[in-house]
Amino acid sequence: METKPAPEAGDRAAGTADAAEAAPSPTQAGAAARVVAGPALEARDLRREFAGFPALDGVSFQLQPGELLTVFGPNGAGKTTLLRVLGGGLRPTSGEVRLAGEPVDVGERTWRARIGVLSHRGFLYDQLSAAENLRFYGDLFGLDALADRVREALAAVGLAGRADARVGSFSRGMRQRLALARALLHDPDVVLLDEPWTGLDAHAAGLLRDVLASLKDGRRAVVLVTHQLGEGLRLADHVAIQVRGRFATLEPRADVPGDGFEAYYREVVERAAAGAGTGGAEL
Amino acid sequence: MSFGKLRYAAPALAGLGALGVLWLHWLVFFWVPTEASMGVVQRIFYIHVPSAWVAFFAFGIVAITGIMYLWLEDDRLDAAGVAAAEGGMVFTTAVLITGPLWGKIAWGTFWTWEPRLTLTLLLWFIYLGYFLVRRATDNPRQAKKFAAVVGIVGAADIPLIHISVAWLRSLHPQPVVMKPEGPTLDPHMLETLMVGLGSFTLLFLGLFVSRYLVEIAERKVALDERTAEAGATP
Amino acid sequence: MSGPAQERRTPSWARQVMAVVRKDLLVEFRTRERVASMGAFGVLVGVLFHYAIDPVAVRPQDVASGILWMTVLFAGILGVGRTFHLEDGDGAMSGLLHSPVALDALYVGKLIANVVLLWLIVALILVTFAAFFRVGLGPHPWAVIGILALGSFGFVALTTLFSAVSARTSMGESLLPVLVFPLLVPVIIFGVSATSRLMVARPLSEVAGNVRMLGAFALLAVAAGVTLFRFVVEE
Repeated sequence: METKPAPEAGDRAAGTADAAEAAPSPTQAGAAARVVAGPALEARDLRREFAGFPALDGVSFQLQPGELLTVFGPNGAGKTTLLRVLGGGLRPTSGEVRLAGEPVDVGERTWRARIGVLSHRGFLYDQLSAAENLRFYGDLFGLDALADRVREALAAVGLAGRADARVGSFSRGMRQRLALARALLHDPDVVLLDEPWTGLDAHAAGLLRDVLASLKDGRRAVVLVTHQLGEGLRLADHVAIQVRGRFATLEPRADVPGDGFEAYYREVVERAAAGAGTGGAEL
Repeated sequence: MSFGKLRYAAPALAGLGALGVLWLHWLVFFWVPTEASMGVVQRIFYIHVPSAWVAFFAFGIVAITGIMYLWLEDDRLDAAGVAAAEGGMVFTTAVLITGPLWGKIAWGTFWTWEPRLTLTLLLWFIYLGYFLVRRATDNPRQAKKFAAVVGIVGAADIPLIHISVAWLRSLHPQPVVMKPEGPTLDPHMLETLMVGLGSFTLLFLGLFVSRYLVEIAERKVALDERTAEAGATP
Repeated sequence: MSGPAQERRTPSWARQVMAVVRKDLLVEFRTRERVASMGAFGVLVGVLFHYAIDPVAVRPQDVASGILWMTVLFAGILGVGRTFHLEDGDGAMSGLLHSPVALDALYVGKLIANVVLLWLIVALILVTFAAFFRVGLGPHPWAVIGILALGSFGFVALTTLFSAVSARTSMGESLLPVLVFPLLVPVIIFGVSATSRLMVARPLSEVAGNVRMLGAFALLAVAAGVTLFRFVVEE
């Protein structure tokens, strides 16, 4: 394994995705009436600089509907920057994000209406009830038939009975389920998971695993950023290891060693850092 | 603007400005006639007024680079804003020192609520806020945006502040404030004032550009260090 | 269910503003944290001023207007400065920034909620001062109240913008007064002089200019907030 320049890594992922593209999912076929259906989510050579420092240095990938990409990487590798670009918090310096084959402007509000974000924090208000929290976000997203949606969303995460209870009284697991209901309330096309395991005990982590597995329902593309090698690997369809702003590797889950992944991860990171270190002098 | 040309322009401007300030002092002490009603102390006016001009001119640069920074997010604009603000604060301080010195002798009190002096005091605090927000956050990008917002809102509010302090002043009993500028200004005085304005402006521009270059160089070093560090530690 | 390519409408701006107003006021209604601290502060300042003023040397009505405005200002800084702490608990600010909320709608929503709170406090402070100092509002009480409302509106518009700044710095609320007090000088000058004149029964026409300046300040502050807010909350 050697450090690949990002476009090449992207091509490799595209190769693995060809089969899926040939047989579009039913959801995509339905939407294909107006647009050319492509991969659910595609990033093309995303770059983002901060005052000249390339935090994101050419990242590309493709995800089919229902697929989950896990991004591992050491601190400072630019994983958060990647999520912030995909989440619309930062405009990329260059590069492109495409949804179902169409380029999107991640800085636009309409893009944020299509993504759901779940992190280790719930983005919830303790003083409001579960239903009030969802209604607040529903209003921000401009959702129709909000009362029904909220009821359905709460039922889907098993909180129908606690709709009017204050979130401050919720257990960690309940908060997490409510956070999931919040993230999915507007039926996003793309879900971003930002270190969702941070600060969770083993029991809560187990609950979260079930919750996240339910995300892979064949409709959404999911990007997960985490330090938890085991958890991240379990859910992944594609695995990327990001080092110094680039994907040092991007492979289908099947091509990544399941046993001894930690050693593999370390080897990739060290080699990529060393390789980029000599190249860094030219920056 | 190439780095190389600016590198020579900056000391040249500052040098010219410094020579001008020396010449100004010669004019102030040996050439310009003494103002009749206030006497010798009025000569500080030739330092005081050019300082005030530069203080507000610098804040104009802070506000304009702030607007452009928020728009273009070019780091050089923020560096220019910092450079202007530091220079501006120095000259604002000069106004606040020379004003009371003049006031103490001319009308017997260190501080009067003279509108322009009051406005300068408030300007000093706005500059202070500009530097405090920069230091109070670890996120450099956020610091730059916060500072830009302080600069822009400050500049937009300064006319209102001026109107309000001047309006309040008009209600109070007026001490004998001499307004040395105006049609009656002696040609020698006018010439000295012009030399003051010109040389202070040149001096400020020289310091401003130098400070800008230092700021850019500092950021480049920090960036190089960060790049090297990112390469060394996986 | 929607497919990935389904077009989404841009959510309504007014609905987002109302959602923020309702949420902020509901949270405040449930906790009453800010109203309690601002209200207690306002009343306590009244008590302290009562002892700080020697009625032999100064007549309360001579200084009442200035004290009133300063109390409103300090109470306002206290409450408005905490407006973004509502979003701190569970990372809600992140949730807002990941939602399609228009950031100027977020600002306007926060502004309205803060204004409602501060106007409640202004009413409380007026009642307290009337009781403590037996100072009347003069022959045009509604004009005095209107001027206080207009002045505090401009003040809240500016402070809401800068509380977004101070909340995200390590200095927190201690930075807020340093940032806003120099900028608030026009509110104090035109506000205090207008209310003190009306309280000593000067004609309404005498304060028309003051009201215009307070209005200009409020317009400027709202314009600054609406255009600049997004730069201080974006990460």
